[in-house]
Amino acid sequence: MATPKSLTLSSTTFAKLSPHPYLLANLQPADPSTTPTRTNGRQPAQTRTPYINTSSLSHAHGSAVVRNGDTTVICGVRGETILTSAIPNYRAPSPADHSSSSLDEARDYDLLVPNIELATGCAPNFLPGVPPTTLAQTLSTRVYSLLHSSKLVDVSRLRIYPEQVGGEKNKEDDDEKMDEAEEEIDEYAVSEDKAVKAYWVLYIDVLFISFDGNPFDTAWTAILAALRDTKLPLAYWDADREMVLCKRSQEKAIPLNLQGLPVACTASVFTAKEKQKKGSGSYWVLVDPDRLEEGLCDETVTVVVDKLRGSTKILGISKHGGTVVGPEFMKKMVATAESRWDEIHAAIE
Amino acid sequence: MTTTTTSGPEAILSHLHSADGSATFSYAGYTIVGAVNGPIEAQRRDEIPEEAVVDVVVRPAAGVGGTRERHLEGLLQSTLRQIILVTNFPRALIQITLQVTVAPENEYVNTKVVQANTNLPILPALIQTAVLTLMSAAIPLTATLTSVVIAATTEDGSNREIVNPTAREIEKSRSLHVFAFTSHGDLILTQSEGEFTMQEWEDILACAQRQCCPSTSGDINMGDDAASGADLGTFTRSVMEAKIASDLYWK
Repeated sequence: MATPKSLTLSSTTFAKLSPHPYLLANLQPADPSTTPTRTNGRQPAQTRTPYINTSSLSHAHGSAVVRNGDTTVICGVRGETILTSAIPNYRAPSPADHSSSSLDEARDYDLLVPNIELATGCAPNFLPGVPPTTLAQTLSTRVYSLLHSSKLVDVSRLRIYPEQVGGEKNKEDDDEKMDEAEEEIDEYAVSEDKAVKAYWVLYIDVLFISFDGNPFDTAWTAILAALRDTKLPLAYWDADREMVLCKRSQEKAIPLNLQGLPVACTASVFTAKEKQKKGSGSYWVLVDPDRLEEGLCDETVTVVVDKLRGSTKILGISKHGGTVVGPEFMKKMVATAESRWDEIHAAIE
Repeated sequence: MTTTTTSGPEAILSHLHSADGSATFSYAGYTIVGAVNGPIEAQRRDEIPEEAVVDVVVRPAAGVGGTRERHLEGLLQSTLRQIILVTNFPRALIQITLQVTVAPENEYVNTKVVQANTNLPILPALIQTAVLTLMSAAIPLTATLTSVVIAATTEDGSNREIVNPTAREIEKSRSLHVFAFTSHGDLILTQSEGEFTMQEWEDILACAQRQCCPSTSGDINMGDDAASGADLGTFTRSVMEAKIASDLYWK
């Protein structure tokens, strides 16, 4: 029979019973000689080191596994072709459209299809056999928005044209049938020689293997690494057979030409009082929060930066759930995101 | 700084009789009907012992809600929870339903129902409707909210900010920003997408602050800024005043 020897609790029991005071006690130690740390042993502004492994899936055109602490994500990119005659309301891009932003093919024809799945058992709160959780749906939308607003994927690499006249004669041998669609070509499509006949559609699937906070940053890093790894086979439109064919040889596969390297950085704001009203009490900014910290923080900030071309560009800011973060704070957050960019850049290269 | 909205904001309060509170708000091409039920009993598995659960449901103008609506609901839920005095109603539920009835369409391209281009432009209208609806239901709040959407474009090498941009202007803009401020002047929500620098963001924030929290000292700010968009804070106040005056008319 277990009889308690004293009224002191072990730290794990304390953490389970009252997580908020537990994290507060760690950040605000009673003994001034101990440095304040988070419950996971990190400093408030310290991130977890990301580990990135690419080309781990053999059947995807590009893939990446990203591990950020105990959050592990796998991302696979698979390309499929769609004929322009199969796209409803298709509008052939005129040469003027290629440069201007009036036509966004990737968005109009849904050429990028991201999906995020939180696997059963990756964290205790994800149960089997339920429809996608609110978190999974929110993440999908945010990733979709960022993919399009950052214009990361160069659409010109997704267009498929008719084969150049005078190409190889022995194409019968090394061709691979990719598309069974045998639609009649419409009259308008025949008119121009260099007209786009088909597009690649990129299916970007992200699966969380284990989940320990900061899902958006990790999922985005995985997508970025997988897209950098993606090589699409050389595809062309065969006018005789009226279908899209691909070259079999791997040497002719072309990588996607990614525009920049946007990196997301998330921080949560932890307040000393559980129900903080403006101006009362101190707060801590916890960069790259884990699952315990995310559950205790109301306010979250995400900044997406890209400094591949020297100066820092901001590609997205998202802040909600509180009033602690003001304009001055946002400046510091961008600086934090810049150092996070260096970290991810080093891991991805 | 220019704005594209010609007509001012309009609102009808407490027009749905079965809901505890309701409002219809229309501004900048959007019309949204909102209803609040609460505080009501929360489901056992959802209830929080020490505070009220805030539940937001967003329904689009066409089709059923998808991932985009879940994202908007998440943003609204975390924002409204901050202004509702949730600790006054432990173990209760406050449910806010927002039905979009009219949304502006882009006349240049075919609009897609399934996954719309961007989530941001509708956010200010949703926030404004939610606040009016909560006040109609007499839910105690710490503050009201005002919100604005701003598109930043580059024309002839100079940056320009468009308050309440049209769908076409959003498409041509470089970046799109949504800000929400409490009536105390604190920044409670910001969402930005596109490409911009920190300096540009600060300029746009200042523009949003002029829109949402105009200084009450009167005469000075009656220049071009005041004419550029509706003052939604004053609008909310005058709508409530008119409603209270008509409710007390029988006395």
